[in-house]
Amino acid sequence: MNLNDIQKCERTKIEKWSRFQLSHKWKTVGIMISLSVFAMLLGLKLMDDRPQWTSEVLKRLLIVGFLIISISKDKEEDEMIASLRAKSYTLAFIFGVLYTLIQPVVDYLVHQYVFSASENNTFSYFQVLWFMLLIQIMFFEVLKRQR
Amino acid sequence: MKNLIKVERARHNMTQADLADKIGVSRQSINAIEKGKYIPSTLLAIKIAKLFKLSVEDIFFLEEGE
Repeated sequence: MNLNDIQKCERTKIEKWSRFQLSHKWKTVGIMISLSVFAMLLGLKLMDDRPQWTSEVLKRLLIVGFLIISISKDKEEDEMIASLRAKSYTLAFIFGVLYTLIQPVVDYLVHQYVFSASENNTFSYFQVLWFMLLIQIMFFEVLKRQR
Repeated sequence: MKNLIKVERARHNMTQADLADKIGVSRQSINAIEKGKYIPSTLLAIKIAKLFKLSVEDIFFLEEGE
């Protein structure tokens, strides 16, 4: 196997992976998971005595729900939808990076000047992933409506 | 980029849905292409041109300054 064959093989694999999508019915599954997990997270907020692990598990489930929505095919998947999806991923990536850069500063300023406390807020991966997936889904739906 | 899809559709007495069905895209995509909101891929442009028995350049053309 020469270098060209290896490159061709790699390109074929990458193209195959990049085209991977779940069928449209998975979108409903993703929405149901996200909504029910969101409701459970709200319910947990109201409980006084809640185990720490439940919140962590639900947060991961919420990300899974969003990911399923994000990679599910649209009802009428064609090249225009694929192009809109690519645009929404680009926007989500840019907004995600900006959010990662800006949010800790905003958090710090709010805690310093609004709450007058030096609380050391941790910036979790959950916040970034949740934000990026939400932005992608939102932009995709907005772009689809504007076509 | 402008196009004459609407004109050709009218000449062939086709609706957006008919054209969409024949080339395998959604009606909304045809609408977006006609309005110039979306520039189709080469493959889709060739499919449209072939359907109307014209060349791609007869249907799609650049505007001044493009």
